[in-house]
Amino acid sequence: MTAMTQPATTPRGTPARDEGGGNPLRRAWVRALLVVVVLVAGYWVSRLLGHPAWAGGFPTAVGDRFMAWLDSVYAWIVANRNDSPLFLYFFNYVSVGLGSAVVLINRTLDLLTWPGVTLAGVFIAWRVAGWRVALVVLAAFAVFALTGLWNASMTTLALIITAVFIALLFGLPLGVLAGRSERLHRGIRPVLDFMQIMPAFAYLLPFVLLFGIGNPAAAVVTAVYAFPPAVRITALAVRGVSRGAVEAAESMGSTPWQILTKVQLPMARRTILLGVNQTIMLAVSMVVIASVIGAGGLGDAIYQALSKVNVGQAFEAGLAIVMLAIAMDRVTGAVGHGAHAPDIPERYRMPLLGGALALVIAVVAIARLMGVEGWPRDRSVDLSTPVNALYGHVQDAIGAGTAALATWLLEGVLAPLATLLTHSPWWLVVLAAAALGWILAGRRAALVSGPSLLAVGLLGVWNHAMDTLSQVLVASAVTIVLGVLIGVLMSRSDVFATVLKPVLDAMQTLPPFVYLIPAVALFTIGRVPALVAAVVFALPPVIRLVNDGIRGVPKPALEAARSLGSTRWQLLTKVELPMARGSLLLAVNQGIILVLSMVVIGALVGAGALGNDVVVGLAQNELGLGLAAGLAIVCLGLFLDRVTQGRRAPRA
Amino acid sequence: MPRRRGSLVGAVSVVLAVAMVSSCAVRTDQVARDPNTVRMALNGWVGYEASAEVLAYILREEMDYEVQLVRTDEQPSWQALDQGVLDVIVENWGHEDLMELYGPEGNGTVVDGGPNGNEGVIGWYVPAYLVEEYPEITTVDGLREHTGLFRTAETGEEGEFLGGAPGFVTQDQGMINAFDLDLEIVYAGSEASQITEVRRRYANGEPVLFYFYEPQWLHDELDLVKVEFPDYEPGCAEDPDHVPCDYPVYELNKIFRAGFVETNDPAYQFLDNWTWTNAHQNEVAGMIADDGLDPTDAAEIWVRENPDVWREWLPGGRAER
Repeated sequence: MTAMTQPATTPRGTPARDEGGGNPLRRAWVRALLVVVVLVAGYWVSRLLGHPAWAGGFPTAVGDRFMAWLDSVYAWIVANRNDSPLFLYFFNYVSVGLGSAVVLINRTLDLLTWPGVTLAGVFIAWRVAGWRVALVVLAAFAVFALTGLWNASMTTLALIITAVFIALLFGLPLGVLAGRSERLHRGIRPVLDFMQIMPAFAYLLPFVLLFGIGNPAAAVVTAVYAFPPAVRITALAVRGVSRGAVEAAESMGSTPWQILTKVQLPMARRTILLGVNQTIMLAVSMVVIASVIGAGGLGDAIYQALSKVNVGQAFEAGLAIVMLAIAMDRVTGAVGHGAHAPDIPERYRMPLLGGALALVIAVVAIARLMGVEGWPRDRSVDLSTPVNALYGHVQDAIGAGTAALATWLLEGVLAPLATLLTHSPWWLVVLAAAALGWILAGRRAALVSGPSLLAVGLLGVWNHAMDTLSQVLVASAVTIVLGVLIGVLMSRSDVFATVLKPVLDAMQTLPPFVYLIPAVALFTIGRVPALVAAVVFALPPVIRLVNDGIRGVPKPALEAARSLGSTRWQLLTKVELPMARGSLLLAVNQGIILVLSMVVIGALVGAGALGNDVVVGLAQNELGLGLAAGLAIVCLGLFLDRVTQGRRAPRA
Repeated sequence: MPRRRGSLVGAVSVVLAVAMVSSCAVRTDQVARDPNTVRMALNGWVGYEASAEVLAYILREEMDYEVQLVRTDEQPSWQALDQGVLDVIVENWGHEDLMELYGPEGNGTVVDGGPNGNEGVIGWYVPAYLVEEYPEITTVDGLREHTGLFRTAETGEEGEFLGGAPGFVTQDQGMINAFDLDLEIVYAGSEASQITEVRRRYANGEPVLFYFYEPQWLHDELDLVKVEFPDYEPGCAEDPDHVPCDYPVYELNKIFRAGFVETNDPAYQFLDNWTWTNAHQNEVAGMIADDGLDPTDAAEIWVRENPDVWREWLPGGRAER
């Protein structure tokens, strides 16, 4: 999940606002600490008074009414789905269309047979991105085949193609419009922010309700999830086209349409392709969640493995998803750069294409004659047994230690923090949130951070939200500490960096579902395995940002410090870290938002609280509960985002 | 909510007008489908999967149907029948409320297909080694005395009750209240994590108390004992906050989409004829879960070994109905 903040808008070494000398950052921390002390004091006062009603959790009356209203909407839809014109003439049409599209693409891929698909895929990859990428694509197809997941992979591919198509169909034009109109851009940004923090699980049920279980809803949900970067990056790209070029075209009497198609779009092409790349990556990361509503494919294979608690089998399917993601990333990325594509003289291009097409057709025809379709399942390599064996060894070796660590973390940190937040007077928590926003990020942030917690209360899920908040805070702290530590080490050593990079790639694309079960086996069920999974998920971008930030510190500054006789430790703490402050702040923000995005998935291993509400809402058809909990997660996200964005420069 | 409906209709009047002119209404249950395809819900537990895979195998191999198995939770599966996206749920646990909503009394889109022969038991389970140490723990009073055994870091002062997957039927909190047990539910969030945790504690010989059910393949691997509560009587579970009885014994049944029944297709007749026993299901489920066989392969083995059983189900066979 990309963040709500764009790197471009983060100030690098924002001019610190001076508030009467001294280090303002340190003073801000002192004041923030003061707020925490007040909160703790408030908790104790409330506890000594025996938690009177006026100093307890948020009253749930409003939230209950809101949930009941949503439930009645749900009941209305169920009762009227086959009578209401809204469904007869709109949603059902869309549903049929999308369902057919996915099936059609899947059928086509089946029709091509495995040799045909592989040949076509590798040829396209070679033609647009060069032979290295073609090898990656070949490797991906090999993994699909050898794990015995060929058919599942093709189903998933069909879903992704459909979803990405929808996302781009709406996303690119909207992005272009937003790029040309400042007002639209400003209006659409909060909507995109909202879409990106709302957990996908929370809007599965509404879409199932509207479009029907299976491929249609899965395609829409995936498209919705993947849509924001298409808009954002396209808008950014169009806006980034130099004014000079546009003005020159204008002065030559071009119409707005001509300016768009002849100047802005061609010049913004590369950045727009980056947006397409991001859209595809997000669509791939929705694969597992989409299979919760019957999408089938690789996600389904993961669920199937989980229902048997077979870690090795889940890993196989996870590996197929990782390969799919990497292959698609490399191909679309290379289209953007256009660097490694083979240089073929103009006159050979058409014959080459024709030849390849003929070859594919010939291969498909022969394969079909021989009765080949998907890769034969019995000719697959069993990865799951060695992975399961390894998993067993790891569990035996460190299981006791990790379980003890889990107990300590729970009793020493998580439980007290959860008690503090859930049992403090709700208004004190809201005030503290506003105060923290003000202290750490300025007055405008306070106007968001306080009310967003108030909204959490109004949604009627205060206690669960505070429980979730405590978990997110602890997981974020762990992520940031580890991320900075590893990031600094990575910036010290090129060898370490080279080794770590592919690991980070895999960590980022591996569906978290794969490591949920090992997390439970090692850290016992409950909040701790959820925390571990969240840390694993959020760590890679934090490490990357810290590493990039430190490596980006200008050489002259380092040399100057060295010549003044700084030790390596001084160099790090006095020069590199302060100069990489912008990246560090962004890393903190990203880490927290990514941890938050794992709240629902954490509920699958017993984290409870808001995440569990979302999961239960989906599984038990309780639209009110699921949606209220989802919105509460968005509110928590707003609060955390605003507080950690720091004193950013006024938006350009 | 007639008023809401009015405003919604207004909002899409343009789309509506276009659609009206250009074509006809699409009901979800008319969504284009291949008459030769049977679409089965596939709920998350292995026992269900065993039933579905065996039926799918026979439909495919013996009756020349295409079969789609669509993985969804229990409640969404009902919704899918109502939407016309699926044809059958082969193992349903209760859900009287949903039958009211979608059945003949409600939307009229689903039909009770009668028992499938499996009997389902839900209850609270403890490992056998715990019963050896505290024989009285399988009674309500004994459990009340020993809730302290189940304390974990997660629950603190109270004993931990490990809940089931979020989609499953539950009345645990009602039972905790009614029997005055000092327990707190930890929601496992998924069956996979629940089983992982139970296995871990079992391996270490630690106490654990959890929601579980039969038929379930884990019973072959671990020796588990069910806690005895007063038997279920109709109506005793009406107030979800106070349930002074055990879970009922479920006569598991099939649920059909009404439109699928109306076709009276051989596939429907076959599924209608089908009944088998818990032992049959466990045989297949055991192959899938314990031996790690591919579900289709497990189904194939069972079908090859038990022709006498399934030939009875084929329409026009010796099935007397």
